Amino acid sequence: MQIVKNHKDVTLTVAIEGRLDSQTSPQLEAEIFGKLSGVAHLVFDLAKLEYISSSGLRILLLTKKTMDKQGDMTIKNMPPEVREIFDITGFSRVMRII
Amino acid sequence: MKINVHGLAFKQSMAVLVGISVVFAALFFFSNSQIQGKFSQMLLQKGEEVSRANVALINNLFSSGRSIGEEIAVKVGDQGLSGQELDAYLLRTLNGVRATVPQVVAMVVAFEPDMAPDGSNAEYMRLAYFSGDSSTVINGGNYQEKPWYTSTRDSLRGLWQEPFIGDFIKEPIVIFTTPIFRKDSAGEKKFAGVLCVDISIAFLKEMIASMPVSNSGYAVVLSASNMIIAHPKNELTFKANFASLSRNSSHKRLVEFENAVHSMKSGLFLGSSIDDEDAAIYFTAMESIDWTFLIVWPASKFMEEQRSVGHMFAWINFGGYVVIFVLILVITFRASRPLKALAVAADKLGQGDFSAKLPVVEGKDEVSQLAGAFKDMRTSLQTYIEKQKDIDRAKRDLDFSRGIQLGILPKNESEEGCGDSRHSLSPLLLPAEDAGGDYYDFFKLDNDHLAVLVADVAGKGVPATLVMMVSRIVIRTLAIHLSSVAAIFDETNRGLSDHNRDQLFVTAWMGILDLRNGHMEFASAGHMAPAIRHKDGSVAFVKNDPDIAMVVEDNTCYSTQSLDLAPGDTLFLYTDGVTRAENESGKTFGSDRLLRALAESNDGTPEAVNRSVKDRVDKFVGGAPQQDDIAMLSVRYEGPAETV
Repeated sequence: MQIVKNHKDVTLTVAIEGRLDSQTSPQLEAEIFGKLSGVAHLVFDLAKLEYISSSGLRILLLTKKTMDKQGDMTIKNMPPEVREIFDITGFSRVMRII
Repeated sequence: MKINVHGLAFKQSMAVLVGISVVFAALFFFSNSQIQGKFSQMLLQKGEEVSRANVALINNLFSSGRSIGEEIAVKVGDQGLSGQELDAYLLRTLNGVRATVPQVVAMVVAFEPDMAPDGSNAEYMRLAYFSGDSSTVINGGNYQEKPWYTSTRDSLRGLWQEPFIGDFIKEPIVIFTTPIFRKDSAGEKKFAGVLCVDISIAFLKEMIASMPVSNSGYAVVLSASNMIIAHPKNELTFKANFASLSRNSSHKRLVEFENAVHSMKSGLFLGSSIDDEDAAIYFTAMESIDWTFLIVWPASKFMEEQRSVGHMFAWINFGGYVVIFVLILVITFRASRPLKALAVAADKLGQGDFSAKLPVVEGKDEVSQLAGAFKDMRTSLQTYIEKQKDIDRAKRDLDFSRGIQLGILPKNESEEGCGDSRHSLSPLLLPAEDAGGDYYDFFKLDNDHLAVLVADVAGKGVPATLVMMVSRIVIRTLAIHLSSVAAIFDETNRGLSDHNRDQLFVTAWMGILDLRNGHMEFASAGHMAPAIRHKDGSVAFVKNDPDIAMVVEDNTCYSTQSLDLAPGDTLFLYTDGVTRAENESGKTFGSDRLLRALAESNDGTPEAVNRSVKDRVDKFVGGAPQQDDIAMLSVRYEGPAETV
């Protein structure tokens, strides 16, 4: 899994490529947790995300709750299979998806 | 630095030392014998050099003395000189001889009583001697019993007498005596008397004293009876002889010496010197007189030099010895000390202690290679063991989760104690490698109400399992008091949201089946719709409008939904481990295949339904590993109890 970060002013864009599962979640965790100070807008770009498991969703949920305190979180370019999971679990309703 | 006598260092050092000792010893003895040989040769040469001239001189002198004596004896014998004539003749001759041989100090004639020139039948002896600066003639007597007279008379030939210190002339004198013959009336030679030529050998003292012989050698002259005639130490002359003074030498040695002189005429003899020490003696036997000319090198002096060379050699050897020994020790300790440290470290390593200090070995030799390899090995071992620990820990966690999942959850109705003719159910839980969050549950709320649920906790391992256990307990407890699924979910959600720092959210689907009529009220917390397989084999998904999964928001308000089961309908609950199972090409099993699998199950019993789905999934997945837990719960409504 590849993570590409792009920090511009107070906006951090994180593009995730590949599979976000229990094996690769720690990698995303390491990239984000504790590194969000000064970020007002966090954007996840999931254009190249192939698969997401509950572990990945968990990370997104945690990140969302952190960003709720200091700004906002947006998810964009969600692939349809991922969208489906977001819809069923209700994540679509609590997260900003564009 | 303790010396290990079994150690490499010691053994090697000893071996090399023995070898070197042998070489050194051989060298030493060889060079020693060479030196001795050279010394002997040198002494021989020196001895000969120094002796030659002096011996020649002495020989010449005594040859002259002898010939003079013989000549005069003949003259005196032939000419019948009167007393006066004889005196005059003696003086004249003495002075004449002195011109060429100044060592001649006196001439003596002594006649047989009946041969005296004055015709008297008495002793007749005349001495002509030189003293001061002139010669004189005096009378002598009492000679007939004297050895010099009797020996000559008896042997009738010329003799060299033993030297002595003269009475008239206070010098060491040696006398050549020769018989005087007169022809008698018959013309026969008759012994008439003795002629003596007195030769002073005072010059010898000076000769000896001034002779330079290197290596502290000195010259000695011995008479025929081995008496010391000349010696650097004056006190010895005429007082000691060769044998009497050398206490240490045995009579045998003396005999050996005399034999050597007699047979070899000149050579090197190793024996005792006059001074009671061992000495090397170069001897020359004189031809003209039975004397021996010696050059003596006291052993102590020349041996000293030889010894000092020997000592020097020995010291150098010893020094070299020590240096080599130290070098060997250094080299082998350089090898054996790191080896020992490595042995200690290996021992500790074997006991799991990675802390032993490894020796730092410089250089590129085998020992440093070993030390380097050892260090690498230790690092690899450490890494491997850490990895192994992680693997073990992971495995322990997995065993724990799996133990709970498989152990705690009820496997059938009788276990749970909720058997009832109005329904039958069968669960199936296939935990994945490292998952632990899926579970199912079923229990009766009361005689007529059966609760069934399936849930999926996000994450894996022990944390997910713990949340799973908690939610199971919470739901069951709430179900005792609350009859509405929605209410149960509301409360469960609130409970799980508290203290859920890691946001392990839970999707769940729970339904309460009224066994009297097949009516089921259910709620879905972010969970997908179950499927129904009707008695006739048709399948469909339940109309399901999921609310948000639990924990995502702590105040979610869940809504109650309902469905109705006809007798023979089987409700199939499952987690996404089924529909999201992937094959090797990454394709997912999907909902369509699930329905087909359900349709294909001929029997319709819950077990058969589960098996059918499982087989289908297995076939689809092929060799790909199971990513997620798979949980299924098939519930078949048999219908209301038969009224009796």
